[in-house]
Amino acid sequence: MANGSEIKEEMGPCGERPAGAEGPEYERLKAELSREHELYLRTLADFDNYRRRVERERATSAHAGKRELVIPLLEVLADFDRALEHLGDVPEWMSSGFVAIYKRLTSSLQAQGIVPFESLGNRFDPVRHEAVGLTESEDAEPGTVVAELSRGYCWGDEVLRPARVRVAQ
Amino acid sequence: MAKAVGIDLGTTNSVVAVMEGGKATVIINSDGGRLTPSVVAYSKTGERLVGQLAKRQAAINPEQTIYSAKRFVGRRYSEVQSEIKNVPYRVTAGPNDAVRFEIAGKQIAPEEISASVLRKLADDASKYIGEKVTDAIITVPAYFNDAQRQATKDAGKIAGLKVLRIINEPTAAALAYGLDKKGNETIMVFDLGGGTFDVSILEVGDGVFEVKSTSGDTHLGGDDFDKRIVDWLAQEFLRDQGIELRKDRQSLQRLTEAAEKAKVELSSVVETSISLPFITADAAGPKHLEMKLARAKFDQLTADLVERCVGPVKQALLDAKLGERDIDEVVLVGGSTRTPAVQALVRRLIAGKEPNQSVNPDEVVAIGAAIQAGVLAGDVKDVVLLDVTPLSLGVETLGGVMTKLVERNTTIPVKRSEVFSTAEENQTAVDIHIMQGERELARDNRTLGHFRLEGIRPAQRGLPQIEVTFDIDTNGILTVKARDKETDKAQEITISGSTQLSRDEIDRMVADAKGHAEEDKRRHEEVEARNAANSVAYQAERQVKALDGSVPLNEKARAEQLIADIRQSTKSEPADIARLRRLTSDLQQLVYGLESASHGSAAGGPQGKPPGADDVIDAEFRPSK
Repeated sequence: MANGSEIKEEMGPCGERPAGAEGPEYERLKAELSREHELYLRTLADFDNYRRRVERERATSAHAGKRELVIPLLEVLADFDRALEHLGDVPEWMSSGFVAIYKRLTSSLQAQGIVPFESLGNRFDPVRHEAVGLTESEDAEPGTVVAELSRGYCWGDEVLRPARVRVAQ
Repeated sequence: MAKAVGIDLGTTNSVVAVMEGGKATVIINSDGGRLTPSVVAYSKTGERLVGQLAKRQAAINPEQTIYSAKRFVGRRYSEVQSEIKNVPYRVTAGPNDAVRFEIAGKQIAPEEISASVLRKLADDASKYIGEKVTDAIITVPAYFNDAQRQATKDAGKIAGLKVLRIINEPTAAALAYGLDKKGNETIMVFDLGGGTFDVSILEVGDGVFEVKSTSGDTHLGGDDFDKRIVDWLAQEFLRDQGIELRKDRQSLQRLTEAAEKAKVELSSVVETSISLPFITADAAGPKHLEMKLARAKFDQLTADLVERCVGPVKQALLDAKLGERDIDEVVLVGGSTRTPAVQALVRRLIAGKEPNQSVNPDEVVAIGAAIQAGVLAGDVKDVVLLDVTPLSLGVETLGGVMTKLVERNTTIPVKRSEVFSTAEENQTAVDIHIMQGERELARDNRTLGHFRLEGIRPAQRGLPQIEVTFDIDTNGILTVKARDKETDKAQEITISGSTQLSRDEIDRMVADAKGHAEEDKRRHEEVEARNAANSVAYQAERQVKALDGSVPLNEKARAEQLIADIRQSTKSEPADIARLRRLTSDLQQLVYGLESASHGSAAGGPQGKPPGADDVIDAEFRPSK
């Protein structure tokens, strides 16, 4: 069987190898080809996954843009909730106007599908609740929410802002 | 195909990144965040929670919520006495003096906690990239000893990951900036995270990093800066209102959040306002907190914290037997290095050198780890070679405009084609003038080559379809081909120097285009207005000729007058764009009028398109000279 160097000489720059011929150069090229092919497949796979993710992200990018705007607004809404607790201290014309503004704000969020969820009396769930602390309670079962310090909001299946809660000990 | 990720397993937060198409990308976790809290909790029901969810329930389950596990990993129980004092969960001694956390009567090793965090990161990464993640590179502080490194590796194994390598955090940060490729250098990595401060001095040569020295403060970080703002706000409020806000958990939480937000804002503005309405109430009614915090005041509140970084930096230099001038590069790591006072301190300590901070300091370690993972998995070395065209490439079209086919910074190899047409009646040849540059007009750009495509069948202007293709191969060699779609006649040219410009030349050309943007835009508009005017005048002429006899004399005279006006206007230099547009629009209206009148007389025939309005034509070549 011919060795590699002889074969090299037999071949022109684009020469064809006789069928079945082998040698170090042939092996090297074969290995290189399989490495390159592997790399090519990897890049294709990378690109395919990337393309799919970009498509997915494009579909959700409008959602993401809204979320960026809405989450800080929910903080303001929590301030509103705190203010509502003190409405008895102001004249009626003021409090009714204030409530009207609050309603407009919440209904425009609701129109976008952003709605508060109930937490009081439910079992503490870290997906929907953020615990501020424990409270002794006679009648509530341990692990249930006994006080809601700020409301939680969801948007479809997504929890936009967990409720801040106190939990029965 | 298995993917390898880079994981920055931090004391407070962890980050995971992956190489994708030759670039490191930080992975968004299942909660939508880029940082995952390094927190693991065991709920009363035996459920295990990791990350954000574990953090949310920490206040009601402090004894079974483990954070800062990194402070315990791979250490002996007898070594960690001072750390135990700082945490609310139970730490006990296991076999061979090993550290164990005691949770509901069970002993859990710090490695298991780290493993839970690693598992979540790998799962989130798999979901994000749509491919199973099996291999990882995990980073550890440079000062970690063998036992701590081994324990971290074990954590990876428990998580079901193949740990390709454990690398130093400062090394990863330097890799993210490509400092391994810069030859022999001395690098200082300044890492001020959420709760720890590390400074490391590295030496790199032939792509190999050597840690010369490390120093730091295991209890100094961004949380301390937040606390200074909280204390200041609370004290001011106490003085004005007589109420201590820190006693109420809910108020304290709101104060802490507001403080962190203010700190972040003060990195980009010099004053910020903190507003917490209805923060508390007394007999007189509700109280609001409304304060302004200037950066100068913030710097004053935190001056001693910033100053605490000085000692470790000096110590690290001393241990490495180096002076401040021996440091070639400084890399900033950790969110707290965004604080202007910290950056000023770094510059002061390292002889005014500008630190590397273009990569997000929260993510730089994970990015470096991902790059290393890519190298080990074999996908970096080759993919990184993907190049881009430094300048736009295109051809000259009617009116001396450059029409770009390949925009600058397009990744190569790339192939783009566009269909053009002729600008004159019976034009039988087109000149393809290949250009490179960012300016609007051909004459301001660089010519790469010329060729001529002949043998186009004589036809009305705008009818022939000439497809021009730009093909750049991986070596940056450009082949331009023009083909007449009707006759299939083609001509091509190969240009090899299209990417071989020096960096300076490219920068100059790009800057030049920016500098002339306004002027170029106006000139481009002028050319467009002229082209549009000529095209409408041409259509009108044909229309009038075609409908000869059926056109009312006054309309014909008006059309002729407008055509003459347009011909005159297009010749003036510079062109009066507004006047040209007005004339063009008037003539266009007239042409439409003529058309519908003629169609009307032809008893409702199909609505015709003005000639030359074929959709495929993007631009026209000027006639071949």
